[in-house]
Amino acid sequence: MGFNRVTWSPGHERNPVESSRFRELARLRRQRETRARESTAAHALAGSLMSLAALLGSEVSDPDGRSVGRLRDVVVHWTTRGVYPRVKAIVLNSGKQDFVIGARWLEAAPPATVRLRSSRMYAGSVERHPADVVLAHDVLDRQLVDAGGVQIVRPADLYLARVRDGIELVGIEVGTRALLRRIGPKRLRTRLHPDRVIDWGSITAFVPAWDDGDPHRGRRSDLAGRAGAGLALDRTAGEVKRLKPSDIQAALGELQAKQGGDSA
Amino acid sequence: MSAVDTPASGQNRRVAKLPRWLKAVLGLLAILGPGLISANAGNDAGGIITYASAGAQFGYRTLFLMVLITVALVVVQEMCSRLGAYTGQGLGALIREQFPLRSGAAAMVLLFVANAGLTVSEFAGVGASMELFGVSRYIAVPLALIGIWAVTVLGTYSRAERVFLVMGLVFLAYPIAAFLGHPHAGAVLSNLLWPHFLHSKAFLLLAVALIGTTITPYMQFYLTSAVVDKGVTPKTYKAERIDTVNGAILGDVVSIFIIIATAAAIGGTGPLNNIGQAAAALEPVAGAAASHLFAFGLLGASLLAATVVPLSTSYAISETAGVERSLSRKLREAPFFYGIFTVQLVVGAAIALLPGNAVELVIHAQVLNGFITPILLTYILILANRRSVLGDAANGPVFRAVATVCVAVVGCLSAFVLVQTVAGWL
Repeated sequence: MGFNRVTWSPGHERNPVESSRFRELARLRRQRETRARESTAAHALAGSLMSLAALLGSEVSDPDGRSVGRLRDVVVHWTTRGVYPRVKAIVLNSGKQDFVIGARWLEAAPPATVRLRSSRMYAGSVERHPADVVLAHDVLDRQLVDAGGVQIVRPADLYLARVRDGIELVGIEVGTRALLRRIGPKRLRTRLHPDRVIDWGSITAFVPAWDDGDPHRGRRSDLAGRAGAGLALDRTAGEVKRLKPSDIQAALGELQAKQGGDSA
Repeated sequence: MSAVDTPASGQNRRVAKLPRWLKAVLGLLAILGPGLISANAGNDAGGIITYASAGAQFGYRTLFLMVLITVALVVVQEMCSRLGAYTGQGLGALIREQFPLRSGAAAMVLLFVANAGLTVSEFAGVGASMELFGVSRYIAVPLALIGIWAVTVLGTYSRAERVFLVMGLVFLAYPIAAFLGHPHAGAVLSNLLWPHFLHSKAFLLLAVALIGTTITPYMQFYLTSAVVDKGVTPKTYKAERIDTVNGAILGDVVSIFIIIATAAAIGGTGPLNNIGQAAAALEPVAGAAASHLFAFGLLGASLLAATVVPLSTSYAISETAGVERSLSRKLREAPFFYGIFTVQLVVGAAIALLPGNAVELVIHAQVLNGFITPILLTYILILANRRSVLGDAANGPVFRAVATVCVAVVGCLSAFVLVQTVAGWL
């Protein structure tokens, strides 16, 4: 019988059991690395994004620090050219009535601060223009459908970011964390943790609650604000499920790098 | 060839010779819409046991209350089907879009609780009816749970639904029983036209149970979604409104006959102790077979509602979350949808198996629904009042006043009984 000799030859390092265990370990290590990377990405993103959910209902103050009212909604200009729609104005509620303040009078900083730039400014009455999209009313909590018409989820939060000299709508948060953040206490609302963020650039159009059979919708916005209107993406539901914080960070980084190149 | 042809042509001739009244009935059945189905879904295990209990305990005294409830039901159901037709969305979606997230989440939690209570009472109904056949509920309820889950998830639900519906038609025997049972016609009429209420805790509690089982929150969610599913648009809404109003009235007429038949048979004998007593009301029709006939019908109605109630919960909550919901999806494609369905089924069956009196359990579930109903009705009322949601189809001033009074009365009664109940514990 003799004894078991331990032999070594190239290509036969391990028996099958050992190699599967090794693969499992490698998989776990990769998973841990990915998680760490995504957590860093989320952290970096949180520092540069403004959350619409946190902005809504927050106090807006003038340069002297006096409160002028509460932020009720954010208006963006729907565009077919740029990737990200630019913030055009905010709707402010002063207790008695709502009025609109143009973006040029505003100063904003992450995660959720909006201040007036001067104590004298022009405030308009609330009036809807054709290409206006009012974010809290028209986009937040509306139905998102994928390229195939499959209903995916409803936006839990919208993210704004400083791009060039303005503020633009960059992404839609669809994670459960954001939903819980909105249900939970108000003071925790500024603790952002971007998780599954859909790049706004993949939004194609507003779509009606029922299919109107129009295959060439383009980047249509005339349905914005209608009861039941939702938003269509150019991606599939599966792709949205696999979204990671680093995806939107990459998209944003690219944009900012391009800007740096432009200004230089 | 001719042998094949003859029966078909014979059938054609037979159809042509149908009497006019039968054609009219068939025509009516053909336009059976969501309104009628949803109102009749109110006559589930919880409904039948609550109506029978009302008849047994208080005779005809609750009849006027049922008339008032019918008016409220018509008003509420009309608002729901209008919301469905004009927005193309179910109530779950509308609540998410139109209310702050916290209020929306609260509404969904309440709906889940109310429907879980109903699911408990449906499983209690399954257990009680099988016990009338001599089968222990500890065998019947788990079997029903597995059966319902398999039928729904494996995709033969629509066929099962038809079987349950036909079984539940047994309860159309109640109107006949009500006439054959020789009720006191004068007493019935005077109770229908004028209130004969009692100021007792038991009566008030039963009143809330009657409201809870007739204007059930799940019916409103179900109706709105069914109207959307049917593809009703503002243009075709007129016909849908007729269906909704007819459905609400017809459903309640059957309920009123259940109370009359039970009151005529065992009225004034005190609260129901077991479900077998309720079967006594069918004796004028079925004689000695009444108990088995009642059990058969109750089993069908319970199985149907034990499937539909958890399904409507998961439809509404998935709609609020915006995730894919449909029975045509596989388990893996719609995990959230099937997850909520499964949780509700298991919780319902487990609570129904706790030791205790089935009738009491069922009535308590309806009382719970009665407490939650006015809160969810407020959401519906606010939605139907909003011009930003319905445009010109929003509630006009008169309708708004009537609907507000309905919701307020139901709310005040629930609040009053709730305060009394809580004060009784202290």
